[in-house]
Amino acid sequence: MTTSVIKRYYDGLAEGTIQATKCPTCDTVTFPPTTACEKCGSFEVEWVELSGKGALEYVSHGAAPPPNPAFNDLAPYSYGHVRLDEGVYVQGIVTNVEPTPTALEELFQRGPVPVEADIIDVGGLPVLAFKVV
Amino acid sequence: MGKLTRPVYLLGAGCTKFGNLLETPEIKGLSIYELAAQAARRALEDAKTDPREIDAFIIGNHMPQSLNMGSLYSQFTKWIGMEHKAGVQVAAACSTTNAAATMAASQIAAGVYRKVLVVGVEATQNNPKGPFPYGREPITSENMWMWTDYGVNQAYGVPQGYDIFPVYNGLMALAYRRKYGLTQEEFDRGMMELCRTKRLHGSLTPNAILQETLEEEAKRLGFTDLYEFWTSPHNPYIAYPTRLRSLVTAADGASAMVLSDADGAREYDGMPIELLGWGISVGDLPWYQEDGTTFPADVIAFREAYEMADIRPEQIGYLHTHDCSHISGLTNAELSGYLPEGKGLMYAAEGRLRFDGDRPMSTHGGRHAFGHAWAASAGADTLEAMDQIRGRAGKKQIPTPPQIAVVHTHGYAMISTVLVLRGGM
Repeated sequence: MTTSVIKRYYDGLAEGTIQATKCPTCDTVTFPPTTACEKCGSFEVEWVELSGKGALEYVSHGAAPPPNPAFNDLAPYSYGHVRLDEGVYVQGIVTNVEPTPTALEELFQRGPVPVEADIIDVGGLPVLAFKVV
Repeated sequence: MGKLTRPVYLLGAGCTKFGNLLETPEIKGLSIYELAAQAARRALEDAKTDPREIDAFIIGNHMPQSLNMGSLYSQFTKWIGMEHKAGVQVAAACSTTNAAATMAASQIAAGVYRKVLVVGVEATQNNPKGPFPYGREPITSENMWMWTDYGVNQAYGVPQGYDIFPVYNGLMALAYRRKYGLTQEEFDRGMMELCRTKRLHGSLTPNAILQETLEEEAKRLGFTDLYEFWTSPHNPYIAYPTRLRSLVTAADGASAMVLSDADGAREYDGMPIELLGWGISVGDLPWYQEDGTTFPADVIAFREAYEMADIRPEQIGYLHTHDCSHISGLTNAELSGYLPEGKGLMYAAEGRLRFDGDRPMSTHGGRHAFGHAWAASAGADTLEAMDQIRGRAGKKQIPTPPQIAVVHTHGYAMISTVLVLRGGM
């Protein structure tokens, strides 16, 4: 019995951990995890855990309804570009920023702000979101 | 990257009107087969090429859910005059036809084929109606985007709330504002001018889906001040700070082109267009990292295209960058070296991006005004570049036809494709 990389990632999220793969050859972290190093292509990768802490570089919003109907109940929502402390960039829902021009402009004026992971449930699937701290 | 060992030429190209198969008079009532056939016929006629001279064809589509079909090579072969030719289907989303052109060029340069037909076809507004193979019915915007997003990371991106509008527009726009210190009003005014240019070009292009200039639309809706219209509820924020009229206009449409070796180009009594070189690079989400205005895939694609074609940005006389997101189109124009960094909005405001300006861009109207029929659009972009080089672009002809044109497209999500074209042999 083997476990899919994808299932291991979501199982980890359900338990509150954020898992990535790291290449022992070139030290590049691939996130979200895959079967090969995103930089050198090596298939010899190892699992590592990320902190979920980082900086929200920019935050915009999407309108309702969203492209993915699984998010109908959540939309409209704010969506951000995050640099994790491990140097990895990830984009995701930002849960505690109102998706309004006023709130989004206010965040923009503040510049990068600290965030941490806020794992939410969407239709039974754990989803990596972030919240401003 | 190597170089072509033999020259390859575009002899002809064609496209349909971009619109809605249920509404737009020029294409209303056509089947998807006839839509593709119309583009193929126009390309073959432009190339003055009999279908029997074609050795192979490549056909592409992005969203099979609106066709309810696969294996397009055999399903379309009798409609586009290609029965029993070598044929294959390729998919590179909104880069499909131009990516297919590079594959055709490689085959021709290798001496395998002499002439190749490339076709792209897409319906984004409707899909087959019940059991009737001749009937179509509208699809919802939600379904269109869900099906389109099958081209986006399905392991993590889409299941975790990915949305094209903030990712491809809002976040990039904020990054651009921060990089160049723009207030929201400065950004808004610049984007209005950029849209005004696209809409002007669309109004001068018969095959464009939007024929109304931005000023005409504002007047029709009761505004005398264009900026007041731009910032009104008629033009809401879709992904802050990006507004509705800086985005794509989805359409149905088809495009095609004929590529040939040098013998075919010599026999052609019009102006052949040489495909000097190309660059292609793909990247998964996130498309940008520390610099939210720049995709690494675009950096590679432009660099490789320039190296293969042996050109410098100063030689470019016409540029199209993929602009279903106006901010992405602008950042790529700056990345290409055609516009100075951080000056794109100012150039738009000064009219320099117009067909009669000194940096003409997207003179068919781009993805907002010409419209966007996913897999068919790149071919329409290349057709416009060919028309400009040949001096047959009609009312929006660049006064001094360019010798070298560059066409950049983004195929969702994401294949950056850059073609370099030059007129003559």
